[in-house]
Formats: sequence, structure tokens, C-alpha cells
Amino acid sequence: MTAQARARAIGGPLLDRPMLWLLALFAVAEAVIVFRFIDGIGAVSNMNDGYAWGIWEPVNVVVFTGIGAGAYSVGLLCYLLNRGHYHPLVRPAVLLAAIAYSLGGASIVVALGRPWNMYLLAAPPLWNLSSVLLEVAVCVIAYVCVLWIEMLPAVLDDAARSPERARAAWGQRWGRRLARAMPWIIALAMLLPTMHQSSLGGLMIVAGPKLHPLWHTSLLPLLALVSCLSMGLGAVVVLTALMKHTWSARLDGLLLADMSRVNGLLLVLFAVVRLADIAWSGKLGLLLVPDFHLAFFVLELALFLIPAFLFLSRRVRQNRARIAGALAVVAGCSLWRIDAFLTCYDAGEGWSYWPSAGELAVTVGMAALGVAVFILVSRLLPVVELQEPVVSTSVPAAVAAFVLSGPAEAAQGQEAPRVTAGPGAAATRPAEGAGAPG
Amino acid sequence: MRVSRRLLLKGAVAAGAAAVLPERARARERVEPEAGAVGMLYDSTRCVGCGGCAAACKESNGQPWDDPRELSSTTRSVVKTRRLGRPAADGAVTALVKRQCMHCVDPSCVSVCVLGALHKEGRGKRDMGGERRGTGIVLYDKDLCLGCRYCQIACAFAIPRFEWREAFPLISKCELCRHRADPAQEGPRAVANPACAQVCPAGALQYGWRADLLVEARRRQAAEPGRYQERIFGEKEGGGTQVLYLAAAGVSFADLGFPELPEGSYAHASETVSHAPYLNGLAPIGLYAAAAYLVRRNRKEQEGEPSHEEEKP
Repeated sequence: MTAQARARAIGGPLLDRPMLWLLALFAVAEAVIVFRFIDGIGAVSNMNDGYAWGIWEPVNVVVFTGIGAGAYSVGLLCYLLNRGHYHPLVRPAVLLAAIAYSLGGASIVVALGRPWNMYLLAAPPLWNLSSVLLEVAVCVIAYVCVLWIEMLPAVLDDAARSPERARAAWGQRWGRRLARAMPWIIALAMLLPTMHQSSLGGLMIVAGPKLHPLWHTSLLPLLALVSCLSMGLGAVVVLTALMKHTWSARLDGLLLADMSRVNGLLLVLFAVVRLADIAWSGKLGLLLVPDFHLAFFVLELALFLIPAFLFLSRRVRQNRARIAGALAVVAGCSLWRIDAFLTCYDAGEGWSYWPSAGELAVTVGMAALGVAVFILVSRLLPVVELQEPVVSTSVPAAVAAFVLSGPAEAAQGQEAPRVTAGPGAAATRPAEGAGAPG
Repeated sequence: MRVSRRLLLKGAVAAGAAAVLPERARARERVEPEAGAVGMLYDSTRCVGCGGCAAACKESNGQPWDDPRELSSTTRSVVKTRRLGRPAADGAVTALVKRQCMHCVDPSCVSVCVLGALHKEGRGKRDMGGERRGTGIVLYDKDLCLGCRYCQIACAFAIPRFEWREAFPLISKCELCRHRADPAQEGPRAVANPACAQVCPAGALQYGWRADLLVEARRRQAAEPGRYQERIFGEKEGGGTQVLYLAAAGVSFADLGFPELPEGSYAHASETVSHAPYLNGLAPIGLYAAAAYLVRRNRKEQEGEPSHEEEKP
């Protein structure tokens, strides 16, 4: 049995109180957006000619897509490195990615001054191939399509299980067809993020003198790529923990431990590359200049290295601390991205920027919409693997439990030796019971 | 059936490669000033700060006079009084500087512009009408602009301005009064005719071929030793600009508000780093092929265990 077989729709009320709250937050964002299209971007934001991207590009695009990179990093492990036992994580990760990327794209449309010209992106002869942003735009649009196609098996699985015969037959037939095409689509889902996540980092190379030298480097694309892998894995660990507490989703402790170990290595790689690059380019002296840049640099490094240390310790990566570690990773990678795009970007004398309430409302509302859509889809379609029996807790209670509860997971027997070698690992692995009821 | 689909995909990949390769094959080289490049020479030591250039600019671009202190979406040219870090050779504690688009030889804004809305005259993705090749004027084609404002992030001189309070906003910057060109004339005025240069009463502003302006700048430096500092800003900075600046001896260009730039352009640096890993488009194709191969192989192996596609509900 592979994962998707056990994934099922959560069910439950579609419009419960948390959902209404989330939609209310989005409604506020929507109001701001309407105003923006009538009266211009300056009417709702503090963006100016110096800080032309405000927080929408750094947060809504660069951070959201970083969170969505979970589908990329889990996919790499599962499909390319042949770790089939990662399968249960793929569907939630892909849904998270599809939502995060779609919201990133939607935010771009709001942030673009002349979005009606976007249809021209469909005309390759007009593409300026020198533009890093063109690469990002085209690649992200393509990837959003790929991600939603990757979600289709959930729809077809759902249909295949329908008691209605015709619908079930339809679901099975198209499920099989899609399954045959899937490797080609998955390969695209591996290629596209490699391209646009590195390009996202590359966006700021051209900003040259405006970006603080501790962040400005030719290695920005590489750093962005490595950090998106970390951030994606971290986001999936956090997501899995949240789903366990909210919906009693299955949580395979061994799997998360394994993933955290990979993440630990990635974090160390990021830190080593970054520090070596700083030393190599003769910028070490900047580490002696005590200003806010240095404070952010140290904070970032701490948020990379502390989780790395946690994840590489066998004891820690198998208990609750790994969730704290994963949160730190997401925070650290987000901070590095926001710093490189905004905090440590200096537009020059005379410019200052602090996000307006309207900008924050759009960012928060977009995130709220993302959570709402994730809940909605999980309730309707087989995305999440559940423990038996199904217990559907309300979201706030679950979040409270998640935050307050003692080290319950640490108690789960996860010390069993892992069989990791070879492609047969998934089949022979003794860990099926790790997150099972009991 | 299956084979034909594979062939189809291979065909698609090949077609993609064919489309991408020729474009990439033109490797990114250093951009040199074009032979027909026009530009301006601004002599800070001769400027009297009358603001006539700014007024003429507004008039020629149909913008209302509002006594500008800074560039804006309604101000493409402005004269600023700068307080100097330390007094100039002649004891002055302030200096004047006219700011406007530098019309870089290898502009960051052109490099980053998604659909080439900002482009060098005659080298865009489409002709806006009567564009000449080789003048090096950076033009704005609003019909190709997405309003992404990457140009504002990229421009080291912080020149492009955006209409923040418009529902249908435009980017605004100096286009060297290309619309005032007089085809009947000979020489650079047939290309463009900046209103600012035409009205300057102090001889601080001169329009012409960039090559001639460089000669003129050096001539002035040689004619009055001790009057100017030796650098001609824009000759090499950031890959060179077509608007050139002379400053008084002892006045640094940093004091005049210019960034410290390396000799190479950031457009060159950015494009080199961004393009290199693509190996002329081969890398993505290779990566895709490798990924597809591995995914298929691994899936077959994983299907050794029963997979859900084969499972009966």
C-alpha cells in the first residue's frame, strides 16, 4: 500500500468559525485591493520610487514561494533520490505549494502597475531573455500549472472511490491515464523550481551598490536555491505537525527525523557557502562593523545554525524540538530573503520605507486565504493521510494543543533502527507503526 | 501509441531548444558605446543653478511647473544644490548638479525589463515608430510595460519614477527629447534635441555625439588646469554612460550624489551569473531529461510494491 491509498478527505463543516475568520481577513485584503485598482498602488501602500517593491514582492512572492518549495524538496527526495517512503508527504506538500505559488502569483498581479499587459507574456518574441524577472515570471506561471496538475490525482482518486459507478469508472480511467503521464510532469516539477528559485535570488545581483555587501554576492542564486530546499522541508515538517494536531493526520516520526537530517546538512551547506563566500571576497571586515546589518546577519546565521545543530543530533531530530527547529528554519530563510530584498537594500539618501496598514492587510489576507483553501481542499479531497479513527478537532483547539501540549511525540517509539539502504527501503522499513494509532 | 507520445515530447523539447539556443548563443559580451551614441555633457562648474533646464524639460514634456527639488513622475530633470563633505579647491561649500537619466551604455533598466519596455532606441522588441539604431537613447514603450518596477530596483542612479497614484500608471524618465528631433537637420539634432541643453544660458549643458562630448570634456580640463577634477563621470563608471559630468577640483562625485561604481556594468555581471548555468539552454533540457529518466526508473522500482494506480477500490 502506498500513501495515497490511505489519504482521504477530512470532511467536516466547510464554514466553521476559523474559516469565517480567515475569510474575513481575506475580505479586508480584498477591499484594499479594490481600492488599489481604483486609486493606484500609492493610495494603499507606502511604496515609493526608492523602495519600489515594498513588502509585496519580498514577502508575498519570495517568502510565499519559499514556503511552497516543500513540494520541490520533498519531490526531489521522493522521486529523484528514490525514497518512496516520502510519498505520504507529497500530496500535502504539493497542495501547500500550489496554494503558496498561486498566492504569490496573485500578489504579483496586485503589485504590478500595468497588469493588463501581462497577456503579452504569452508572446515569446517579446521576451527579454536578459531579464531575470522574465525567467521568474514565465517559470512561476508554468510551475503553478504543473502544481495544480499534480493535484489532479487527488480529484481522480476521489472520483474513483465514488459510489456512483460511472463516476468511479471515469476516475479510474483518467487516474490511470494521468499516472502514465505523471513522470513527465514530475520531471517538470523538479526542473522549474530549480530555475526560478535560483533566479529569485539572482534578481538582486543587478541591484549592486544598493544591496549591502554581506548579502550581495554572485552566489545569490545558489544560496536562494539551497535555502528554498531547507525552507520547503521545514515548512512540510511544520505543516505535518499542525495537521496531526488538527486532524489527527498520520505523522511518521521516522520520516520527519530522516527529513530533518537532510535539512540539517542543507543548512550547514548554506552557512558554509555563505561564510566562505564572504571570506573569499574579502568582506570579513564587515563583520566587525556593529550596525543593524550585522545584527540581522547574526540573527540569520543563528536561525540557520541552531536548527542545523538540532537536526544533526539524533536525539533531538526525533523529538518535539525538531518542530521548533523547523519553525526556526522557516523563519531564518524568510528573514534572509526579506533582508536581501528589503531590510538590507538601501535605496539611497532621502528614501525611507515602512509598510502601510494596507500592504500588511494584503499580505496577511493572502496568507489567510491560503490557509482557508488548504483546509477547504483537505476537507473535500483525499490529500491528508489520517490515523484511525478520524477525529476532527477544531482548528483553534488544535493549535492550542500544538503549542501547549507536552512532549507527547517524543514518547512515540521512534528509536527503532532505520533501514535506509537501497530502493527496497520503503518496503522493508519497519516504521509503518511509528505514527499509527496506539 | 506510447512511443509516438514520447516522440512528440522529444520533438517539443527539440523545438524548445531550437528556439532558445540561437538567442543564447549570442554570449553576453561587454557593451561598448555605439558609434552613433548621442549624449550630454554637464559642467557643474559652469552651472549657475537658474533652473531653466528643468523648466524647459517640463514644458517640452507637457508637465506643470512645480518648482521641483527631486525627480518625480512629473519631473524628468532637476538641478540640485549639494552640500559638500569638505570644501572644494576654490573654497565653495556647495555645488550644483543636474540629475536626469544617464542613458547608460549598458543600462541595468534595459537588462531587467521583462518585455523590453525600456530599451535602447532601435534595439527593442518592437519599433515604437521611427526608431533609429545606434543612438543609445533609452526609450520607454508603455505598451510593453508591466509596471513591475524592477527598473527602479535595478537603476544604480535611482532615475526611473512611477506614477504611484494612478490607476493606469507609467514609468517616467528622460528620453533625451527624442520627440523634438528635427530630421531636417544634420548631425545629432536629427536624432534628438534636448530642450534643457538648448536653453542653458551658462554653457553648462551641451548635447551632441558622445564621442565628441568626451573630447570636449578633455579639452576643457586641459584648457583650464586646476579648475576640474580629473575624472569625467560616465566615461567608464558602471560600463559608461552617455550623459557625462565634469566637476570642480576637490569635489567628489559622491558629494554630488553619484554612487561609487565599478568599471563593468551591473547588467553584464547579473546576466553573466544568471545565464552561465543555463549553458546556452542545454542545462534545462539535460536536467529535464535526467529528471524524467530518474522519475520513471524509480517509479518502476517502487511499483515493485503494489501502487495505488493498480489498486482496486
